[in-house]
Amino acid sequence: MRRVVVFLSVLALALATLVPVASAQEGETTLVVGLTQNWETLNPTAGWLMSEWEMWILQYSALTTNDADMETVPDLAESWIASDDGLTWTYTLREGLTWSDGTPLTAEDVAWTINTSAEQEWMNHYEVTADLTATVIDERTVQITSAVPDPRLPDVGVLILPKHIWEPVATDGEEVTYYENLDGVGSGPYVLEEYRPSQTLTMRANPNWYGWEGREPGVDRIIFRQFGNMDALVAALKSGEIDFAASVPGSAIDDLEADPNIEVIVGFQAGWEQIGTNAGDGDGDVHPAMTDVNVRQAMAYAVDTQAIVEDLWYGTAREIHSINPSIDKRWTPEIPADLVFAYDPAKANQILDEAGYLDTDGDGVREMPGGGDPLHFRHVVNTNSDMGAAIGELFVGWMDAIGIEVELISLDSDQLGAVIAEGTYETYNWGWTPSLDPSSMLSVFICDEIGSFNDVNWCSEEYDALYEAQKVELDEATRLQQVHEATLILTEGAVYIGMVEVPEIQAYRADRWEGFLRQPAADGPVLFNFAGISYPNIRPVGAEGGPTTTAPGDTTTQPSGDTTGTTAPGQPEESGGGVSPAVIGGLAAVVVAAIAVVVSRRKSEDERE
Amino acid sequence: MGSALTLLFVVCFNFFLFRIVPSDPLAHMLRGRNISREVQDNLRAAFGLDQPITTQFVYYLRETFRGNLGISFHSRQPVWDEIVERIPATVELLGVSWLFAAVIGTAGGVIAGWRRNTWKDRLITSSTMTLYSVPDFWLGIILLTVFSVVLGWFPIGGMQSVGVRLQGFEAFLDHLRHLFLPALTLSLAYMGEYTMVTRSSLVEVMSEDYLTVARAKGLRDKVVRNHHALPNALLPVVTLAALNLGFILSGAIAVESVFSWPGLGQATAEAIRGPDYPMLQGLFLLFSASVILFNLIADLLYMYLDPRVEAS
Repeated sequence: MRRVVVFLSVLALALATLVPVASAQEGETTLVVGLTQNWETLNPTAGWLMSEWEMWILQYSALTTNDADMETVPDLAESWIASDDGLTWTYTLREGLTWSDGTPLTAEDVAWTINTSAEQEWMNHYEVTADLTATVIDERTVQITSAVPDPRLPDVGVLILPKHIWEPVATDGEEVTYYENLDGVGSGPYVLEEYRPSQTLTMRANPNWYGWEGREPGVDRIIFRQFGNMDALVAALKSGEIDFAASVPGSAIDDLEADPNIEVIVGFQAGWEQIGTNAGDGDGDVHPAMTDVNVRQAMAYAVDTQAIVEDLWYGTAREIHSINPSIDKRWTPEIPADLVFAYDPAKANQILDEAGYLDTDGDGVREMPGGGDPLHFRHVVNTNSDMGAAIGELFVGWMDAIGIEVELISLDSDQLGAVIAEGTYETYNWGWTPSLDPSSMLSVFICDEIGSFNDVNWCSEEYDALYEAQKVELDEATRLQQVHEATLILTEGAVYIGMVEVPEIQAYRADRWEGFLRQPAADGPVLFNFAGISYPNIRPVGAEGGPTTTAPGDTTTQPSGDTTGTTAPGQPEESGGGVSPAVIGGLAAVVVAAIAVVVSRRKSEDERE
Repeated sequence: MGSALTLLFVVCFNFFLFRIVPSDPLAHMLRGRNISREVQDNLRAAFGLDQPITTQFVYYLRETFRGNLGISFHSRQPVWDEIVERIPATVELLGVSWLFAAVIGTAGGVIAGWRRNTWKDRLITSSTMTLYSVPDFWLGIILLTVFSVVLGWFPIGGMQSVGVRLQGFEAFLDHLRHLFLPALTLSLAYMGEYTMVTRSSLVEVMSEDYLTVARAKGLRDKVVRNHHALPNALLPVVTLAALNLGFILSGAIAVESVFSWPGLGQATAEAIRGPDYPMLQGLFLLFSASVILFNLIADLLYMYLDPRVEAS
């Protein structure tokens, strides 16, 4: 027993102190990005997680991309011109493009990706390429024709895959999803080097990327490291084990902001969370009161959205009063005062009184006009949402204040999706993140999507007409007008209430790194944003333009504990709690000696017994 | 024979267990994507989700007996490959913890039992029972906070340092540093079981006549303990250890998550989000099979070690 204890103690102390000498530098800079999401697949025709998108936008370029202001800018294509009817666009590729394996990147790769993805309906490409046909004119010229007027053009943001790698595996739309995609051949700034599922994904700078011409990458390697829980992620950032933490919990903000070496980013990408309603235009057995817009508006007035912002989001979220059709906020209309359903329970009660929903039997719950079913609603708590349970509890109280009784039911988001399609609910909580073009967000609320993506069972002919019109409207000013109008119709329907725009909270070691860019420029996140615009710009602090591999001072400083994140030259790491190896060594000696004394004493005692 | 039947039951049970909750895996796979009904139907067909549940079941049974656990909904790779990839990490962590828990726990039990009702007994019994009672993930978080965050002695999770290239002995040391805290957590958490079984078994043996005889012969206390009492007292401990070995593959879902340890436990946690039916079925089949197998081994071992069992 005692020998075991001694052995363990010595082992522990040896492990804690005998830190291998870091051999990290070797003139390379490494950025370690911690995240809590895993990777399910690295195949861009199969996956959809945020962690996976980040790898794809680093490894693959598109014809066009988007800058910090979300404007369409050249990527693989350096220029483009439209035909007179606006249906055909001709793109000229940059000169001398090559894949990371040295194979030339030509119009052939572009046309193959666009045509094959349309034909095989690859799930991340199809939304853009469904109506497109690409034709190779010459090695550097590709012509893209849309079967219908497409206001998104010339923006074609789909990732172009290397034909020489993908043609053999893309035999059909199903087969292509089985490819593991570990080849690391791409055209973007970084390509895959190594993948360890549930642990790390390492990407190295692609020397053939067009953007590196005339300059050196500020970061040679980017390592994405998965953590099993958020607390460990935050702790690793503070200790310097990682350089960047994606998805920091709101509760950690104050703590991180107090650290002068850490910069906290509260980034918005127009995504929001809402309490969704059932307007009753679909199947199911919705409470008849829900089909009355007055009731939904009254409920909207009764929800204290600001309390959600302050109490659940630590003040980082924002109350909003309509959906955002796009990441680009110019598509979100100004909401007139009469459609802003700000917290006002008195007004909510007044609306219900006037509409005839009165509590005739005095049990505190209103009944249908003329006395009938009491207003008893089912609210589904989405268990995949961190805030779901808390919002549910608050919602019960807010509704109680206006004479509506709410019963809570907990379901995960897949089950909730089924319940919404069946129409067997009154309210629930969930959220959306829009894409760049407003059409896909707006399409959620059309009549045809009831039973599928329409998660409020609401249907309006006027809205549908505007949606169809804007989808093919090539004049931008007219389209903007149509999208604004459609959004206002939806807002008036009060199908989404208690809406908050929610942030992606990120944090990084500002003592080591600089050059992070927000996208959208005003308030977006710096990584895991739309086009990954930060990566080519990130560099160690003080390394102007390119990385310096040697820096003044001691670059091999390794205080206790930590062998990772030895990445920023000239930035000696913080030691965990200011305990130096010498102190630990001394402590170890004392403890071992003490144990030895005790052991020998007990031994002699045993003999005597 | 009994073991084989149990396994068959598990195979069938697993299939229905994950389908009790109505949930559409395809909805998860396609979330937020605009995909034509035709492609959705093709995908459904590819994963057999368009068939009635009985057909799916027959197909599942047939393929399972052929050793084909199916394709993971998440990674689109064979489930067996996904599982095999994770086995070493879990066996390493759980194996080391199992060994330390058994050795230290038993040693503690011997001291506590032999010196019954002394301060040693009370100290050992109360401390191991306390550790046994606290949730293992909570213990893990405490150890992680103290040793990694506050003291900075150990890394915050993972299996090896990232961003550095270590080789040979250095890589091994680095690996041990990552293993230490999760293994310590699990060892501490499961020591109590061994301590209590050893202690009570030893106390029982101590009242036997043959021990009185041994003492009467004038044998030293230590000899009586090690050569007369322990061989009999440790029988239930051996069984316990063999049984627990069966749980080595099941991983430790919570502790692996706390320490970001990429084993089968974490794979289970990831597969539950989704849900990834084939992966969950494969994992649970493996877990059950290993428990059943080690139960069998424990039975056989007991027969071999204790002739009385065979006779009866």
